[in-house]
Amino acid sequence: MTVIAMPEVLIQYQAEIWQAIGETFIMVGVSILAAILIGLPVGTVLFICRRGQAFENQTVFSVVNLFVNVIRSFPFLLLVVFLIPFTRLLIGTAIGTAAATVPLSIIAIAHYSRLVEQALLDVPKGVMEAAISMGASMKEVIIKFLYVEARSGLVLGLTTSIISFISYSTIMGVVGGGGIGDFAIRYGYQQFKTDLMVYMIVIMIILVQLIQFTGTSVSRWIDKR
Amino acid sequence: MISLHNVSKSFSGVPVIQSISLSIAQGDIHGIIGASGAGKSTLLRLINLLETPDSGTVEVSGHKLTALTNKQLRQTRKSIGMIFQHFNLVANKTVYENVLVALELAKYPKGERRKRALECLRFVGLEHFQTKYPAQLSGGQKQRVAIARALANHPNVLLCDEPTSSLDPHTTAEILTVLTDINQRLGVTIVLVSHEMKVIKSICNRVTVMTEGTVHDTFSITPKGIQETESSAGHLVEQLMDDGDRDA
Ligand SMILES: Nc1ncnc2c1ncn2[C@@H]1O[C@H](COP(=O)(O)OP(=O)(O)OP(=O)(O)O)[C@@H](O)[C@H]1O
Ligand SMILES: [Mg+2]
Repeated sequence: MTVIAMPEVLIQYQAEIWQAIGETFIMVGVSILAAILIGLPVGTVLFICRRGQAFENQTVFSVVNLFVNVIRSFPFLLLVVFLIPFTRLLIGTAIGTAAATVPLSIIAIAHYSRLVEQALLDVPKGVMEAAISMGASMKEVIIKFLYVEARSGLVLGLTTSIISFISYSTIMGVVGGGGIGDFAIRYGYQQFKTDLMVYMIVIMIILVQLIQFTGTSVSRWIDKR
Repeated sequence: MISLHNVSKSFSGVPVIQSISLSIAQGDIHGIIGASGAGKSTLLRLINLLETPDSGTVEVSGHKLTALTNKQLRQTRKSIGMIFQHFNLVANKTVYENVLVALELAKYPKGERRKRALECLRFVGLEHFQTKYPAQLSGGQKQRVAIARALANHPNVLLCDEPTSSLDPHTTAEILTVLTDINQRLGVTIVLVSHEMKVIKSICNRVTVMTEGTVHDTFSITPKGIQETESSAGHLVEQLMDDGDRDA
């Protein structure tokens, strides 16, 4: 029987690595929740209020559109710094993993809402019309028709978003957020343990591959069009 | 049953429907014909207020639609069926689910939804297709699902916008037969928009001819009946040969 030997540095830093992975999962997990719970409704508002749609509302559209654009215009690092007072107000501190989830959630909402808007734009207009002709309310049009018809696009969009969230989470070291990216920088780069850095990169690659594979499979499986 | 009174509609300043008044009696199959761009679809969509008129009133089955609140309008729409040229089925729902959703919207009694959905599918001859998705059906079958969906909540009016315009002659005859059935057996008033003279002539008993957003004329005709067209390959060859000799 052959035993694949675990590289020594990984064994040596086991505890720190597991902690870093845990921190990444918390940061990305909260971002995903924010994306689904708030980004999805925000993207839906962007879609249904745009010009030419059945529930057109220029004012609401302009306000939400501006908000999303402003958030997305910030270089992410600056957004993190800019939001420090807000984070402190919300969490009580601007330092640590919990605090890091605040700017991450804000960018997650802005990021995913755009992809939701795009996915909904792919739904044929006639489907909404049929729904309205059957007496569906706005809520029913959205839940029973739009989301059903756009579901594979919504899943693919979320997949793309999650991968971006992982990337955003790697710089949260600046506010003591930790995570795999921060670990790779502090131990791998700053302490010249290049092998450790490479292993961290490999972990990230595997993670991203897994997420993309899952997202693609699920979206294909639920697509009956 | 349906009456429009001085209804006008314009899109970004361009008048598309110009002060049209029209009444359609209970039990009619009322055709609307006219050139492309004459405003046929817009007129039809004004009947269930899919387009809101700029002025004028719309009345269906005793309800003055133009005077209703949003909630009341939605309620009234549940008894006005509508079918479209491109079917507009939900591609991610099965045939059965597509019909079921109409019953859910109408708050049809929960325990009877399944029975009613299957009954409607049987009416259009598709009860064996209930677990299929629209992508697995032919155009004619998709339109029949759309008809089943429109019938689900016992409408008294069925609005049809070019329901056969993307179908071949044989399938067109099939759909027209279903529409006549709905009219005769269920007593549903039908408004049928089409640019195909043959379609209008075969089943309509009253016709409105439109031109440039106005009604040119409305009059009664005697429906000619649906011509059963054959679509067998042999018959197609025969028809081709009829009009000229075959080359070599
Ligand atoms: N939502 C809209 N926005 C702007 N213009 C529109 C809209 N809907 C229809 N129109 C215009 O109104 C006119 C009438 O359109 P309508 O679709 O009612 O014609 P139609 O008689 O049904 O034609 P067709 O036989 O081609 O379907 C056309 O000039 C069309 O471009
Ligand atoms: Mg038309």
